Amino acid sequence: MKPRVAFFDFTGCEGCQLEVLNFNLEIVDLINVVDIVEFREASSDHSDEYDIAFIEGSITTEKEIERIQGIRNNAKILVSLGACACTAGVNALKNFYTMDENLKLVYGENAKWYKTIPARPVHSVVPVDFFIHGCPPIRGEVIRLVKCLLTGKKFELYHDPVCVECKLNENICVYEKGQTCFGPVTRGGCNSICVNSGRHCWGCRALVDEPNLNAEKELLARYNLTVNDILGKYRIFNGTLEVAKS
Amino acid sequence: MQNRVISKKDLAGFVDDLIKTKAAGEVIGIQAKDSKFNFGPLKNAAELRLDYDIALLPPKKYFFPQIETVLKYEFGATPKVEPVVNDKAMCLIGVHPFDIRGLLLFDAVYGGANPDANLMMKRQKSVIIGVDCLTPNPKAFAASMGTAVTDEGFDLMLTDIGNDYFVTVGTNKGDSLIKKAKTKEATAADQEKRDKVRKDALKKYQVTLKMKPDEIPALLDANWESKVFNDKAATCFSCGSCVMVCPTCVCFDVQDDPALNLKGGERYRRWDACMLSEFAKVASGENFREHKEQRFRHRMYRKGKYLLERYKYLGCVGCGRCAIACLAQIASPAETFNLIKEAK
Repeated sequence: MKPRVAFFDFTGCEGCQLEVLNFNLEIVDLINVVDIVEFREASSDHSDEYDIAFIEGSITTEKEIERIQGIRNNAKILVSLGACACTAGVNALKNFYTMDENLKLVYGENAKWYKTIPARPVHSVVPVDFFIHGCPPIRGEVIRLVKCLLTGKKFELYHDPVCVECKLNENICVYEKGQTCFGPVTRGGCNSICVNSGRHCWGCRALVDEPNLNAEKELLARYNLTVNDILGKYRIFNGTLEVAKS
Repeated sequence: MQNRVISKKDLAGFVDDLIKTKAAGEVIGIQAKDSKFNFGPLKNAAELRLDYDIALLPPKKYFFPQIETVLKYEFGATPKVEPVVNDKAMCLIGVHPFDIRGLLLFDAVYGGANPDANLMMKRQKSVIIGVDCLTPNPKAFAASMGTAVTDEGFDLMLTDIGNDYFVTVGTNKGDSLIKKAKTKEATAADQEKRDKVRKDALKKYQVTLKMKPDEIPALLDANWESKVFNDKAATCFSCGSCVMVCPTCVCFDVQDDPALNLKGGERYRRWDACMLSEFAKVASGENFREHKEQRFRHRMYRKGKYLLERYKYLGCVGCGRCAIACLAQIASPAETFNLIKEAK
């Protein structure tokens, strides 16, 4: 029997699901080896029976806490898919304001009709078995996880910093161009896609296992910057991390 | 084999002919990439930038690609395994002597008793047209390493002697290629010009190793506990930049990638290196170079001692790429060796 796979969206832009739909022909191979039983962006089917649950988005309401707990109870394997699920992503920017301020900012005089809580990554609410980082996640990594689950191979997160792939791609270092980049402390696996396209690394795949933050501070100082100068940029994807609070 | 002299105009014609006729395979040349230089397929001789300081990645990428499929397999009643060997002929133009020394190290590592087909087939089929580096990068120290000039490892070596290039012919293959171009026989005066240009270029290197390269192994032997390794490694990102751009880093990782239909798959290899935190992690989970200080020291021993003792080539050719790439500014082997010596 093929494993039953479900995709669920929480607070986020649903771009992660869109990225899965962008698999093109690979999606045909995918549905030959798994049954997709719930996938709101692609199908109106619904099921509570599934083996693998992919969770997109972060937890930002009390209701979502109950919902994710229900999914965790049903699923054998739960996967955090994308930056919002893995680190609370962009949603964590709201955590730097009071919840009242947020509600007023978004809903104005109708704020009283809504409730909200600070944004949290999925694993701070329920246990998560696997993480697929990134905004958006890299398609190949989703496929690689599915292949590992099907073949019983251990799924290992890409552990090297973005700099490795960036060098393999023969990019000119962003720092040499006089800009800052989170590549040296950010988990790679994205094929340095942002730098390849002329931008810098935004840190969407979170920190590597052993980031050398002192070295990062020294590096920033050499470019006449402090942590505070770049904190705003870093909070875009990593607001829940200790390093982003100051 | 007679050395030649070729005018700059005729060299351009020679290169354009190589591109047009593919007489020596696909033509790869050094060219500008924004404010830097890199090797890439050459469309015409005008793109060639023989006056460059350093290429972003060394030319080893053409013999040992960043990622390379090495075999394909199929499951089934009779499983099939097919090696994948890409052995296309290539002509690399504009390789600096220190990068040629890097390729010679690769030959020693991969061409021994159990040769690596993927790498050695490409090496054998390829033509190397070198160029002497007259504008060294400020972080390079090839002059100290004895690698700024080479008398082996090339088919032809070009030296800019003003209006012309001096062409040192290294092999019969190179000889027969250059015979197709419009050249003159090199005179003793031409050769003097070449030697002077080379000698002057050596003086342009700004970083100096304060010892002879063959003294490095003994220095390292006596300084395993040196504080320099810890001091330097303190700001190491373990980002791998130094080892990804190195012309003498020979290591790779191998992975099997099954197809999604689970009917087969392929095995590929990808550059891997000792400065990365998981490089020395083994199946049990044990990591025998868990700390960045250990990794930093290992790299220095590798560059200054291990490779030399095993393969007779120093593991560092003084190109300076690691020092350019290192954001923490700790990667230059020359600087580390000098510090250890001074601390004595």
